[in-house]
Amino acid sequence: MDPRKNKICQKPAEKNCRQSRADGRREFLKAAARVAAFGGAAMLSGCGGGMLGSKEELSLRWKEYFKKNYRLMTQAEKDETVRRLERLAKLNNNVNVQMSSAPPIDGVLYGYAFSVTRCKGYMECVAACVKENNLDRKSNMQYIRIFEMEHGQMSPEVGNAKFYHPVPVEDHFYMGVQCNHCQNPPCVKACPVKATWQEPDGIVVVDYDWCIGCRYCIAACPYYGRRFNWNEAVVPKEEMTKKQHYLGNRLRHRGKTEKCTFCIQRTRAGRLPACAEACPTGARVFGNLLDPDSEIRFVLKNKKVFRWKEDLGTDPKFWYFID
Amino acid sequence: METTQNHIRTHLTAIIGDTAAFVKDVITWSLSGGLAYQIYLCILAALMVLGVYAYFVQISEGLSATNMSDIVSWGFYIANFTFLVGVAAAAVMIILPSYIFKDKDLHKVVIIGEVVAIGALLMCLMFVFVDMGAPWNAWHLIPGIGLFNWPTSLLTWDVLVLNGYLVLNLLVPAYILYCHYYHRKPNEKLYLPFVFISIFWAFGIHLVTAFLYQGLPARPFWNNPLMGPRFLASAFAAGPALIIIVLVIIQTTTSFRVEDAVFNKIRRISVVAAIINLIMLFSEVFKEFYLPTHHSLPAIYLYFGLKGNTALVPWIWTAIVMNLIGTLILAFNPGKNNPRVLVPACALLFLGIWLEKGMGLIVPGLVPSPLGEVVNYAPSWVEVCITLGVMSLGIFVVSLLLKPALTIEQNYEAGQQT
Amino acid sequence: MKTQISKTCLRGLLPVLLLIFAAGPAYSAEGGVVQIYKHATAPFDNEKQVDAALSLPIKFVQVTESYQGGRFWTETRKDKIQRFKCSQCHNNKPVSVAQAAEIAHGQIALDHGSEARPLSCYSCHNKAERDFLETEQGMKVDMDHTYQLCGQCHFRQKKDWVGGAHGKRISYWAGQRVVKNCTSCHDPHSPRFKKRWPAIYSPPLSKGK
Repeated sequence: MDPRKNKICQKPAEKNCRQSRADGRREFLKAAARVAAFGGAAMLSGCGGGMLGSKEELSLRWKEYFKKNYRLMTQAEKDETVRRLERLAKLNNNVNVQMSSAPPIDGVLYGYAFSVTRCKGYMECVAACVKENNLDRKSNMQYIRIFEMEHGQMSPEVGNAKFYHPVPVEDHFYMGVQCNHCQNPPCVKACPVKATWQEPDGIVVVDYDWCIGCRYCIAACPYYGRRFNWNEAVVPKEEMTKKQHYLGNRLRHRGKTEKCTFCIQRTRAGRLPACAEACPTGARVFGNLLDPDSEIRFVLKNKKVFRWKEDLGTDPKFWYFID
Repeated sequence: METTQNHIRTHLTAIIGDTAAFVKDVITWSLSGGLAYQIYLCILAALMVLGVYAYFVQISEGLSATNMSDIVSWGFYIANFTFLVGVAAAAVMIILPSYIFKDKDLHKVVIIGEVVAIGALLMCLMFVFVDMGAPWNAWHLIPGIGLFNWPTSLLTWDVLVLNGYLVLNLLVPAYILYCHYYHRKPNEKLYLPFVFISIFWAFGIHLVTAFLYQGLPARPFWNNPLMGPRFLASAFAAGPALIIIVLVIIQTTTSFRVEDAVFNKIRRISVVAAIINLIMLFSEVFKEFYLPTHHSLPAIYLYFGLKGNTALVPWIWTAIVMNLIGTLILAFNPGKNNPRVLVPACALLFLGIWLEKGMGLIVPGLVPSPLGEVVNYAPSWVEVCITLGVMSLGIFVVSLLLKPALTIEQNYEAGQQT
Repeated sequence: MKTQISKTCLRGLLPVLLLIFAAGPAYSAEGGVVQIYKHATAPFDNEKQVDAALSLPIKFVQVTESYQGGRFWTETRKDKIQRFKCSQCHNNKPVSVAQAAEIAHGQIALDHGSEARPLSCYSCHNKAERDFLETEQGMKVDMDHTYQLCGQCHFRQKKDWVGGAHGKRISYWAGQRVVKNCTSCHDPHSPRFKKRWPAIYSPPLSKGK
C-alpha cells in the first residue's frame, strides 16, 4: 500500500490546508537558505578587515589564507610568506616593517632566571614588553605579571598584581611571572591543529595564522602564560616595533592566541629580550643553557634556584633564585 | 552484455526513484502539521535568525562581544556543549536494552532516542563552532588537508568521536526508516554491527569529552579521576529525563501511542543513574571540603564564594536541590507515571544537571586563575542569543526528523497488523 | 552474535592502546631540562654562531678578572662623570671659583654604610691622587674599574657579578660579554635603589575588553 495515499495516519485537520502550508513553508525555507548563504559569504569576506582591497592585496590574502603550517614550510616558503606579510602591512596600514623568518641558532637552548631579591616592582619589564611585542593597548594585554608579596609565602597566587604605588614597599618582595617555556609544555599537547610547538632552541611559539582560536591551550597552561585576542588589536603606529619575526611580535588578528616568545625577534639576533634589557635592577638573567660558560649556567650552579609549580611535570626553563 | 547493462541501469534508476520518493515524503511530513505546529516552527526559526544576527555581531567584533576573558576563557558555549554531549550519549540507554536485552517496549521508542541524539549532537558541533575564535580556519582541523594533532590532543579525539557518532546515528535510523517506509524488514546483518559499535561509541563520546577536562593538571577542579564516570552518570540521568519529556509531548500532540511500561523503564534508568550521580557528587564534595587544600579553592568559590565573589553560589545550590527533588520524585513515583508529575520531575532533574554540569563545571574549573585571581562571569547578550539560536536549531531538527519518523513507524505498525 | 561482541570489544581496546602510546612520549626526556644542561659541556662559540651586529654604541674596558667563559668587558665610568678629571681642581693650588665646593659637589648626599658607621669620602677616594680611588690596603683603583674597590666589602656581589648572577649584561646575550659597571646602576654615594612609581600598572582582569 502506498503510504502517500494512506490517510489513516494523518490527522483530519491537516488534510485541507496541508498542501498550501507546506508550499509556503518550503518557499520560506528556500529564501531563508539563500539569505543565510549570502550572509555567510558576506561574513567570510568581512573577516579580517571588512573592506575589499586592491587586486594585489586580495591575491596576497588568498595566498596567506591557504598556506601551510609554518613548521612544515621550507625556508624558501617561510621567506615568501614573510615578504607577503610585509607587503600586506604596507598596503593595509602604510607601515614599513622588517619581518624575519630567522631559524633557531644551533646549539642554543634558552633559559631564564629571575632574582626575587633584586626585583623591586618597578615594572619596567612590563612596559618594555608591551612596546616591543606590539601588544594590544585596548585590552591592556601584558605578558608579564609582577606580584607584590608579603614575606612568609612564596606562591604568587597570594600576591597582589594590581598594585600601583611607589615601590618597593617595606616588608614586601616582588616576583614576576610570564610564560615559562616549559620543556614539556602542556599547551603543545593540547593544541588540536599543532599551531603551537616548541622550537629546537627551546622557545614555545605560536603560528598565529594557523591557530583556530579554540583556547584549549589557555585551559592547559598552569602559569597563565598565554593570551587570547578577544578583540582586534589596537597598536598606535608611532609606538609600533617595526623589526618583527613571523613567530614573534608581528601584528596578530582577533581570535588568535599569543604568548611571550622570549622576544624571538631579538634573541635569534643575539640580543637580550626586552624585559631583561629594561630591568633597572638586573633581576633578570637570560642566556644559553647549553653554553657551560653562560651567566644562566652560573646562576643555576651557584644559587639556590626553584621553579614554579614544578610538581606538575611541565619542566619549565624559567628559574627563580634568591641571593 | 547489453541486457545486463540495461538491467543495472534500470536497477539504479529504481533505487534513485525510491530514495527520491522517500526523501520527498519525509520532507512533506516533517513540515506538515496543524496551526500550533507551524507557529512553533516559526518561533524556532525566529530564534535561529536572532542567533545568526548575534553571531554576525560576534564575528565582526571578535569574541570580546562575549563576557569571556583570559581567565574565564571558556564560558556559556562550552558549558552547553559539555552538557549536550551527555544528552547525545544518553540515547544508548534506550538502544542498549532494546538491542542487547531485546526489550520489546523500549524497541518501539528507540527511534525517538536516536533522533534526540542527532539533535543534541548537532547542537554540540554548533556550540564548538560558535566558540571558536577563528572559525574561518576550521579547515585546519581536517585530517590530510590541515594538520590534525591526533592522538596527542584530546580535542582531535572529540572531533572524531562526535562526528563518527553523528554519522552512525544518522545512517542506521535512516536505513531502518527507509525499509519501514517500503514495509520491508531491515536486514539485521547490515545494521546490527553498527548498532553494537554505536553502543560502545556512545560511552566513548562522553568519556572523551570528560577526558578533555580531566587531562589538564593545570586545572585541579577538573583533574580528578571521577570526571569520566560522573559525566556518564549525569548524562544517563539527564538524557532519559529529556526523552521522557519528549515522549509525553509526542503522546499528547500526535497519535503515536507510548505505553506505560516504556515510561516506567526509562524512569528507572534515569533514577539509577541519578542516584549514582548524587553519590559521586558527595564523593567529590567530601574530597574538597574534608581537608581543603589549595586545590579546593575552585570548589570553595563554587559553593561558598571566594574573596567576595559569590555569583555562582545560588545557582549551584539551586541545581543540587533541583537534582535531589527530581531524583526523589522519580524514584518514589508518587504519580504512578502520571505525566503531570513525571514532566515537572524530569524537568527539575534535567535543569539541575544542566546547571551543575554546564556553568557549574566550566567556570569553577577556570576560577581562580592559575595566578589566583577570582573573577565573576555571566554570559553577555550575544552569548545568550547565540545559545538560544543553536538550541532552537537543535529542537527544530529534532521536530523535523521526529514527525516523519513517527509517521513511518505508525504506518509500518499498521501495515504489520493488517 | 558472539563474534560481533568480541569484534566490538577488540575495537574498544584499540583506542585504549592508542592512548597509552600517546602518553609514552610525555616521559621521553628522563630528568628533563636539568639533565639536558648538566650534560651540555661543549663550549658554545657565541661569536661565531650568532651573526648579529655586535657593535655597541658605548665605550667599554676589559675587566682585569676573567669569568668562567674567559675575558669580559664592562662599561666605562670616566666619561659619565661630569667634571672628570678631578685633578683640574684638586691639584694643591688654591681654588678661585666662589662656592666651588657647593657647585661641584653640592648635590652629593652621602648615604653609604649603616646609620651607626657610615662611610666617609676618604673611605673610597684617593687623597693623594684625586683622579683615582683607593682601597683599604692603599692600592690605586682606576675609576673605570670600581669593582676592585666595591668588591672589598661587597665580595659576594662581586663574585656574582663576575659570574653573571648580579648586575646586567648590556643588550646582547651572545658575542662579546659586556656588562654594566657597579656604578652604572648604583650611585656610589647613595647606592640603595630609591622608591619610585612603577612604569606601568596591571588593570584588574575582569574582562577581555
